[in-house]
Amino acid sequence: MSTSTAAAVAAASSPAQPTGAHLGHTSLNIDSLRDLARKELVNVLDSDHGVEKIYHLQPGPLETDCKNLIYICRPQVNYMKYIAEHIHTHTKDSRAGSYTYSLFFVPRRTALCEKVLEDEGVFGEITKGEYHLDLIPLEDDVLSLEWDSTFKELYLEQDTTSIYYAAKALMRLQGIYGLFPRILGKGDYSKALCDMMLRMRREMAVDDLDASQTMQLSQNIDSLIIIDRSVDMVTPLCTQLTYEGLIDEIFHIKNSFVEVDASLASAASAPPGGGSGSGTQSSATAPTGKKKKVPLNGGDKLFDELRDLNFAVVGGLLNKVAKRINADYEERHNAKTVPQIRQFIVKMGGLAAEHQSLRLHTALAEEIMNYTMTDDFNRILEVQQNVVAGIATNKEPEYIEEMINKQAPLVQVLRLLCLYSLVNSGLKPKQFEFFKREILETYGFEHIQTLENLRRLGMLTKQTTTKNTYGLVRRSLSLIVDEVNEHAPNDISYVYSGYAPLSVRLVQCVVQRGKDSKQPGGPGGKGSGIAGGNGWKGFEDVLRMLPGRTFDETQRVDDGQPRPSKRMNGQPRVSLVFFLGGCTFTEISATRFLASQEGGQRDFVICTTQILNGNTLVDSLVQKVPDLHASA
Amino acid sequence: MSPPTADWIQLHDRFYRKQEIYTMLWKQVDLSKYMLAAAPFGGPLALVRDDRKVLLLQKQQPIKPSIYLYTSSGKLMETIQWEKGHIVGMGWTETEQLLCVLEDGTVRMYNILGEYTQFSLGKDAKDNRVIDVQFWGTGLVALTGSFQLIAITNFDEPRPLFLADPGINEPPHSWTVIPPKFTLSRHVEVLIAHNSTILVVDATEARDERLQQGPFSKMSISPDGKYLALFTADGKLWVVSTDFQKNLSEFATRSQVPPQQLVWCGTDSVVLYWDKIVLMVGPYGDWIKYTYDDAIFLIPEIDGVRVISMDKCEFLQKVPDATENIFKIGSTAPAAMLYDALDHFEKKSPKADENIRSIRLELADAVEACIEAAGHEISHQYQRSLLKAASFGKSFLDIHNADSFVEMCKVLRVLNAVRYYEIGIPMTYTQICEYLKMRTDRILIHWACSKIKKSNDDEDTICRMVVEKLANKPGLSYSEIAMTAHKAGQSKLATMLLDYEPRAGDQVPLLMSMQEDELALVKAIESGDTDLVYHVILHLKRKLQLGEFFRIINNKPLACNLLESYCKQQDPELLKDFYYQDDRTVDRANLTLMESFRQKDSTERINTIKGALRIYQEDKEHTFEVKAIEDSIKLLQTQVQLEKDYSQPFSGLSISSTVYKLITINQSNRATKVRGDFKMPDKRFWWIKLRALVEIRDWDGVATLAKSKKSPIGYEPFVEECVKAMQFREAAKYILKCDAHLRAGLFLKIEAYQEAGEQAFLQKDLDTLREIRDKCPNAVIQGQIDGYITQLASSR
Repeated sequence: MSTSTAAAVAAASSPAQPTGAHLGHTSLNIDSLRDLARKELVNVLDSDHGVEKIYHLQPGPLETDCKNLIYICRPQVNYMKYIAEHIHTHTKDSRAGSYTYSLFFVPRRTALCEKVLEDEGVFGEITKGEYHLDLIPLEDDVLSLEWDSTFKELYLEQDTTSIYYAAKALMRLQGIYGLFPRILGKGDYSKALCDMMLRMRREMAVDDLDASQTMQLSQNIDSLIIIDRSVDMVTPLCTQLTYEGLIDEIFHIKNSFVEVDASLASAASAPPGGGSGSGTQSSATAPTGKKKKVPLNGGDKLFDELRDLNFAVVGGLLNKVAKRINADYEERHNAKTVPQIRQFIVKMGGLAAEHQSLRLHTALAEEIMNYTMTDDFNRILEVQQNVVAGIATNKEPEYIEEMINKQAPLVQVLRLLCLYSLVNSGLKPKQFEFFKREILETYGFEHIQTLENLRRLGMLTKQTTTKNTYGLVRRSLSLIVDEVNEHAPNDISYVYSGYAPLSVRLVQCVVQRGKDSKQPGGPGGKGSGIAGGNGWKGFEDVLRMLPGRTFDETQRVDDGQPRPSKRMNGQPRVSLVFFLGGCTFTEISATRFLASQEGGQRDFVICTTQILNGNTLVDSLVQKVPDLHASA
Repeated sequence: MSPPTADWIQLHDRFYRKQEIYTMLWKQVDLSKYMLAAAPFGGPLALVRDDRKVLLLQKQQPIKPSIYLYTSSGKLMETIQWEKGHIVGMGWTETEQLLCVLEDGTVRMYNILGEYTQFSLGKDAKDNRVIDVQFWGTGLVALTGSFQLIAITNFDEPRPLFLADPGINEPPHSWTVIPPKFTLSRHVEVLIAHNSTILVVDATEARDERLQQGPFSKMSISPDGKYLALFTADGKLWVVSTDFQKNLSEFATRSQVPPQQLVWCGTDSVVLYWDKIVLMVGPYGDWIKYTYDDAIFLIPEIDGVRVISMDKCEFLQKVPDATENIFKIGSTAPAAMLYDALDHFEKKSPKADENIRSIRLELADAVEACIEAAGHEISHQYQRSLLKAASFGKSFLDIHNADSFVEMCKVLRVLNAVRYYEIGIPMTYTQICEYLKMRTDRILIHWACSKIKKSNDDEDTICRMVVEKLANKPGLSYSEIAMTAHKAGQSKLATMLLDYEPRAGDQVPLLMSMQEDELALVKAIESGDTDLVYHVILHLKRKLQLGEFFRIINNKPLACNLLESYCKQQDPELLKDFYYQDDRTVDRANLTLMESFRQKDSTERINTIKGALRIYQEDKEHTFEVKAIEDSIKLLQTQVQLEKDYSQPFSGLSISSTVYKLITINQSNRATKVRGDFKMPDKRFWWIKLRALVEIRDWDGVATLAKSKKSPIGYEPFVEECVKAMQFREAAKYILKCDAHLRAGLFLKIEAYQEAGEQAFLQKDLDTLREIRDKCPNAVIQGQIDGYITQLASSR
């Protein structure tokens, strides 16, 4: 019997990403996590049929023929208001008849939202439930909470909700894969996350004594490394130079989908990687006819090959692939006998998909190329690289001033200015006043708030000391690498063509012990076990220069001693790297590169609260004001 | 010991058995005079006098009726004094709460101790009265006097939901519900026997199944929700699938009178009850009849039927396969052989060995089968002898994992314990399986709570008793126990117990109800759960005076941060108060300033900004902001004037954009004035002017600007802006004014290859010369450049 049901969804990305099965990035089987999420979604929707229409939750009335509405959204105040608005319009409209409303909070219902629903007078109208989706597997080696607002929430508003969710999610991972024998990290919020996990483990005995008693140390995960974004604000401000990073910089990848011009996307009308369900759904609901959503994930083999490479080598690789596909097509001339032809036909299916993907990526690469060829891009990049390398001239502030004078987008300006401030421990007092004034007069006085936000975060400050901490860190951790071979990189710095992201360098400190323990970078740094390893030892000095606490905790099972992490039949050990406050695609690529250096001895699984880049990060801090001339 | 097959009766190809479990402890309960509801899984019975039936008033009976809660063995557990109105129906939830639905739509939910909560089915139910009700484990459907259906699908948050109007105007012949978990739509469906057909009703529509066989005077859904048993007017028992697609069986009872009860026995036979007669009908039309002396009551279970009569409690079930295999007369199944072997062994007969040999290969299976069969036996003797047989067989096996044997012994201990007549829960092995993994914690907590409620000891003694009993359970949650004590008015006990609670978060609700506000907030913060902090904050906000509220919040940073972000979205006025009392000048000023951006009227807006200005002026360190805000007021005033003068919108633009816009509407002089008013730096003004002029394609203007004085931004921007506008000729005008080393590159940009070559040659720039040569389409110029290249190369 059909009871027409509609679901309005917000900010909950589909757990059923159309990735292939196990892609082999890591030895950890993420499928169990994915299945769990999928099963619960089915429960939420009551069954896998019955939902007739899916809407995106947005402000304004919802017009639908369906009488049973299911909302799936984050427990956020604005969403509650949208829902209340829907209900109010339905109630006012006497023709509409009676609706039933169900609301599923992802990942849980909160007192706050219930209060808002109460205030709006719709609390009683709604049946409420929960969908416990926390870490979403974007890839087999990338899990994200996909809380887009985490950075602002955590560091500006100092609302630690995301730490709580992160701790819950990590506890759930431990429930599946076993206890992480060692938890290391840097930064105050990292420490808070670690403490919360340890406390939750103690309290878990209350929830489920048996489970807590039977919980074993993980067989394959030997460590969790938590990096607090506040330890390294520089990295996200730099322009990402990997293929995936640049796609994100230019088009912005959201929940592993990128929205591009329909003309670009038409090159790949049927998204490769078996994009069923969610893939087609999202593209059907694209707001304008001109844009189209394309999934970007490891299911697309070509993309998987390209994503982590420096963009400089992408063109050559695409060319090679094109030639190979062409050669494969040419093979048809050799197919003479019927079995040969049949064999070719079978192969052709795969070729067509590959061809589609090649067309998409060639088109994307071309777009990126057009962008990276511009003078503006190159000058920004030059300034940026000089700044992080500590090459001090007048040219850098002058160029920033010029950008303001040209009324370049504020986010671009602030990104560069903050980078400049962070690296130099602030701007000189006169310079500081000057830039503040320039920004207010050019972009509007509402940015008094923006500047205040940046000041609070320490991203744009007045110099109070001449001590250049960043310079010391840069040297001790060799963040600047002059000789970069983009084709055959030997260090993570290839992702920014010469700058090694500090965050990943710190991870490297823990997992790699070079012959010279002071130099994690450089070739030949070979891993040793973490569980019995030295942790941060040897890096205390540089860690002291960075903000926040450093910690190294060992988790034991009740029978006493921490067990030496025995490797299961030669499987690589896995380190979980948690970027609290968000990470960039380049940091993911750099972490993958670390794994490749370990020669199959160690894999990394990256967890993060969200994926960010310099634009999204800065933009979240920019004060928005309503446009009073919207109608004019 | 009577043979195990003594009470077996064959029904077609299978056996059924009816075993007596208890002799009832109650005295002289005439079931025909009561309304009765029984919880499944051997749960308790609720009896209340049926006020539609005549009862001889006896001396010892009170006039006001009571609800009696009995165990299955007839032991009285609780008596609930009933002072409310007429009970329409009673049922049990899957958490063993008793539901009583009243005529006026009130629903009372009692726990096993007789404590209740209640809710209403709504105004419609109250106005039209409830005439009947049907229950399932997690919900109910009520039928009102106006023949509307009201459903409750969740007892935790009961919300009356109207189902579609079935469109009938007389009471149905019979009706039933299909629980949501069994329907295709996952919503509850109601089946209503109306005229000769059945209506299927859900939340959105009532569908007529167009049947001819009715009217159906009784109906019942099988425990798995797949089949429907119907009793037709001509006395037929008819079984169909619940989607009415499959006709399963028909059986003529030859009774015109509909049965009082029609229930399923497991999923393959149906039991009908008329006054003192029980008829069980199997799927192939075979039947068994039992007769009783008094009224009885049938309770369907997932694997059989409990039969309650005045003097005993019996269980009617299909003989489980494992049991049948062993005990069926003449069975040669391995398990039967094993059981037989034990018998021979005990009689010291050599046939034991023979038996074992004959089943050598299947011995392991036989052992398992005996273990399982032991589980299905109620009689302790048979449990024992079956386990003995298993144990005997085990000794002939080289390797055998005894886990299932040990496990079954444990299960049987539990089963025998709960079946003991004083406890009176006649559960079967099938029923208990999924519940065995239950945590003992819950039970201990439950125990402690009942202890507190029922005990008359002083608080210290109770506390000691509870703590002693729970001491060996580290990590057990005390907050629920403490809450019980608090509700029972024993606050001191509650406080004492709460100290044992290991989880900060769990202490919070109780602390809140104990008025320990600040402590509740501290504990919530400790838990790290921000929503719990919100929960307390919002509670305190409702409860306390503002000053007191702030006093508690102020020294707790997380609480302050959360309050701040809540207010930003929901309560800006509260935020102002909060900033004010906490002396947060910058935040307060900015909050006011931001408010001004939402105001359309400029006078109002300026007033608000002035408010912000005053706040900033309170402090000496904010000279920059004071100056900026003064400028912003001046800008707004200027813009108001500009809007008057040029009838164009200006407000909302920055200083730079205002100047830019003035130039694009050909008001250069005014632009210069505004620029002067705000002391705009030269460089910025030149950039703005240049870009604005290029936008309106005022090339003369650009030229005039270039000539007006020495450009503070150099001439490269002139070239580049022209290039961007694709005006190569214009661009060319400024190249020679640029730095010498840039000229070649700039000429190249406007495709002036010859000039580019000349400039590169002058600069002795070989690389650029080669680049120019590669890009140049003109062979003559190429030759010329080749010349330069040779010249330069040779001079090296």
